[in-house]
Amino acid sequence: MHREELLRMFPERMRDRWQETADLCGQLQEIRLRSGLPVTIYTEEGERFIDGRGRVVDRQDAAVRSTPKELEDILQHLCQYSLYAFADEIRQGFLTIQGGHRVGLAGQVILEEAGRIRNMKYIRYLNIRIAHQIKGAADSVIAYLYENGQVCNTLLISPPGCGKTTMLRDLIRQLSDGTVYGQGVNVSVVDERSEIAGSYMGIPQNDVGTRTDILDGCPKAEGMMMLIRSMSPQVLAVDELGSDQDMEALRLASGCGCKLMATIHGSSLEEIKSKEYMRYVIAERLFDRFVVLGRQSGNFVIEGIYDREGKRCIS
Amino acid sequence: MYKLVGVFCILAGCVGFGNLKVRQDKERIRHLRELIRMIRRIQDEISYGKHTLPEICLILAKISDVWYVPYFEEIHRQVMQGDSTGLKEVWREQMEACLKSLPLQQEEKDVMIQLPACLGLQEETRQARGIGQAAELLTGRCRKAEEAYENRAKMIHSVSILAGLLLSILLL
Repeated sequence: MHREELLRMFPERMRDRWQETADLCGQLQEIRLRSGLPVTIYTEEGERFIDGRGRVVDRQDAAVRSTPKELEDILQHLCQYSLYAFADEIRQGFLTIQGGHRVGLAGQVILEEAGRIRNMKYIRYLNIRIAHQIKGAADSVIAYLYENGQVCNTLLISPPGCGKTTMLRDLIRQLSDGTVYGQGVNVSVVDERSEIAGSYMGIPQNDVGTRTDILDGCPKAEGMMMLIRSMSPQVLAVDELGSDQDMEALRLASGCGCKLMATIHGSSLEEIKSKEYMRYVIAERLFDRFVVLGRQSGNFVIEGIYDREGKRCIS
Repeated sequence: MYKLVGVFCILAGCVGFGNLKVRQDKERIRHLRELIRMIRRIQDEISYGKHTLPEICLILAKISDVWYVPYFEEIHRQVMQGDSTGLKEVWREQMEACLKSLPLQQEEKDVMIQLPACLGLQEETRQARGIGQAAELLTGRCRKAEEAYENRAKMIHSVSILAGLLLSILLL
């Protein structure tokens, strides 16, 4: 990510405040803006604050506070002054902006009669999660994801913010372009939140490989079936599994002969096994490899790679 | 001989002035139709394509009359680069420059200049409907102008010839 890209996230008149933060863009992970509360950033070094002159400081009491108007202006700017175009995303509590960066939203939810979320108003909390493409992020695991020259069905497991999507993106790129372990294959990606490819007007902003097809903004379960029918992928990749429908689509996809690359929230293989919607997937041994990611001293680490039996391939 | 040439020149000048006025009316109708077409396209792109306004500007730059192309391209460029103070300001600035020399009435220009003021709704159908009100207003204006065009053209031509004759007689 370039500093200009970060500055462009904010309306022009606010950019002076973000100049120093933009210098840290390489190590920036999150920007948290809360109405009436200190502007906070998270870098590899941990939590820091922005003061009124835009300096990055360690003292919370020196931090400048966001106003509701500022948050509204930033949201309008991020939505390119076209809130209607992001209505579905706002309803889900996040939107993905150019470059694949995700902006989490919180405010007051408006419900429909049936209890479903219709909209969100008074958005007073923004969490800008900076996406980083790290080429080579999957170098240390790729060797374990092949068996007899074939790609293994792989599930990446980690808590939020530990690099699942970054690793999946690099896996997709490497599988698509080919590695020393196997030739390049056709990879199809259901990029429901536009985080993997960071597509803008249909064109990936991240390098996802030369043999990769992206279905952008499509719900995972429907997208997987669409891609199988239309693009006949050899590898199908999805981010953040989390429902019975996703699992059913995975089951159907694996039955169609394509290999799966997926991620899921969790801190360990045991935790994943205990999830109700994962029961069938585990019982049927749908995945050949489980890669568990974590964080130690601020760095992302591979905590373990497991085979379909749950035995460690690497510790 | 000189008098005859003078009369001819006066008549030609008056008829030319009349033609200019008629052509302005025709141009006004043409531009009104173009504005309506563009607003309808914006509506469609909002409700079906869910495109953002800057993206729609790029689409409009490809499909609209050549006169409007640089202005829509500039709106897209400025908003996407984020160097502007906001879409409303850029839009107003560019549309004012674009419509300044066109033979439209100020109210008709204002409809287009203030179009982003209708933005801000979070639901695309309602947002499109909001934008559509501008098209309806211009459609009414355009219909009136079309209905009046034939009679007005005849009247302007007649008046310009009569004015030329009258002027000639007075100067003789």
